[in-house]
Amino acid sequence: MRRRAGLVLGLILLLAVAGSLGLGDSNLGPLALLRALAGRGDALDRTILWDLRLPRTLVGIAVGAGLAASGVTMQAFFRNPLASPGLLGVSAGGALGAVAVLALGCQASLLTMPLAAVAGAFLATGAVLVLARRGASPEHLLLSGVALNAFFGAGTSFLLAMSAGKFEVSGQILFWLMGGIENRTWEHVAIGLPGVLLGCALLLPLGRPMNLLSLGEPSAQSLGVDVRRLRWQLIALSTVLTALATAVGGVVGFVGLLVPHLLRLAFGPDHRRLLPLSMVGGAALVLLCDLPTRFVPGGLRLGAMTALVGGPFLLWMLRRNPC
Amino acid sequence: MLKPALEAEGLTLGTRLREVSVALEPGRMVAVVGPNGAGKSTLLQVLAGLLHARGRIRWQGRDLARIPFLERGRTLSWLGQESHAEFAFPVREVVAQGRHAWGDDGRGVEAALEALDILHLEARPITELSGGERRRVFLARALATGAPLQLWDEPAANLDVRHALEVLRLGRGLASAGSTLLVSLHDLRTAFRFDDVMVLDQGRLVGFGPPEAILTPELIAAVFRVMAAPAQGLALELP
Repeated sequence: MRRRAGLVLGLILLLAVAGSLGLGDSNLGPLALLRALAGRGDALDRTILWDLRLPRTLVGIAVGAGLAASGVTMQAFFRNPLASPGLLGVSAGGALGAVAVLALGCQASLLTMPLAAVAGAFLATGAVLVLARRGASPEHLLLSGVALNAFFGAGTSFLLAMSAGKFEVSGQILFWLMGGIENRTWEHVAIGLPGVLLGCALLLPLGRPMNLLSLGEPSAQSLGVDVRRLRWQLIALSTVLTALATAVGGVVGFVGLLVPHLLRLAFGPDHRRLLPLSMVGGAALVLLCDLPTRFVPGGLRLGAMTALVGGPFLLWMLRRNPC
Repeated sequence: MLKPALEAEGLTLGTRLREVSVALEPGRMVAVVGPNGAGKSTLLQVLAGLLHARGRIRWQGRDLARIPFLERGRTLSWLGQESHAEFAFPVREVVAQGRHAWGDDGRGVEAALEALDILHLEARPITELSGGERRRVFLARALATGAPLQLWDEPAANLDVRHALEVLRLGRGLASAGSTLLVSLHDLRTAFRFDDVMVLDQGRLVGFGPPEAILTPELIAAVFRVMAAPAQGLALELP
């Protein structure tokens, strides 16, 4: 049953990819889509697919897979199913880094913003590590996250207020803070996708030791896990994944919390399964949440969409099994 | 006298452990007793390589700190006091984790489940078990490692009387097969079922040897501040 459910998840991603490539201001039917993918058919279709839709879809996959994988990893690391890049302030740290680059206009190269996002995310992760020691209680962890979110949020709003006069810059910042994957180019794909894929590939073999870690650090170590090294690998990979996702997709909340939780309920906590499934599930969720944003005029943003889905879901979950 | 399997020399960690030196022979079941805060758990964690203390620990003549992680996982097994679990792993998977250092070969998992009387719980999520049942799951995991050095911190905490006695019998079986067991305890009467007893007080080793020789009314009065007299009441044994 579990294998079949995994297959269903893969199928959902496939449908989401098809929808993401095919639907929009001008719809491409399955046949037109395949023809354009093969480099044949209508020239306009080809342009739409290759220059607009495909980069958007690939960036969506990078954002979703990266955030969900990062969420699973943080939950195992902190032995706490409530940990996630959004709640812990790691996303907010990445956002501050990126916003600083936009606001100060120091975008020297295309890599400046992603690098700043990575730096901001690492700053936040470092702060979380200092504030909430390993095995910290959920309350401690979440309050640390609240503090960091407030702190980084204050920095971000300061920069936003500073650029209030410069409409283009402040618009850019605002849009970016609300998360979104429209108007992405192949450069964005190049910044986000290879790094996320590499990070995910490096995480996958860590599933087994993550299982041991998630049941307690000292016992994991006594069973033969090099806990110190594993901790570094996990924290570095999850931070980079969050940062890259934030750099190309802006602030997209709830994916890192929602996807692992839902999949853990369905498939159990084994990280060897949970990691790949979350990557697939995260990508599918982001692509699906991106679809309505194409049809609602006036700008329903991706970040708003994931929160619209994620907020009620989290409340439902809390009612179902109170922590 | 056999060559010691585990030798510790001058273990010191702040005020928690002070110059503890001890040599344990293979095949011995050793109880660690002492009042709260005497350093029992600290000693077990230091011996397991989980806490760093000044001093030297040798396993079969080798410096324990130099033994690589995986090999250490095959050599020693540590059971902590806590048996809390956040994630709902099925019981069998938790016990199978004991084989991590052996490349997850699954050997001895079935036997460990049986030995701790949890075979009927194997598919249940560990989060849904009672405290005592969880304890037995983590004991089974320690057992599944097949490690010749077993360090158990209050293994019988939360266990009912039958399962507590079975844990002792299990330990006895491991010891007669050549393993070395170091088990922290609070019940001094249980300590008399062990080959040797180590008494810790404020981080110091104040007694080590056969329980009859060590756990005298004088030492008990000095360390635990209680009066000891020959036991009366129920004598509990497994059928």
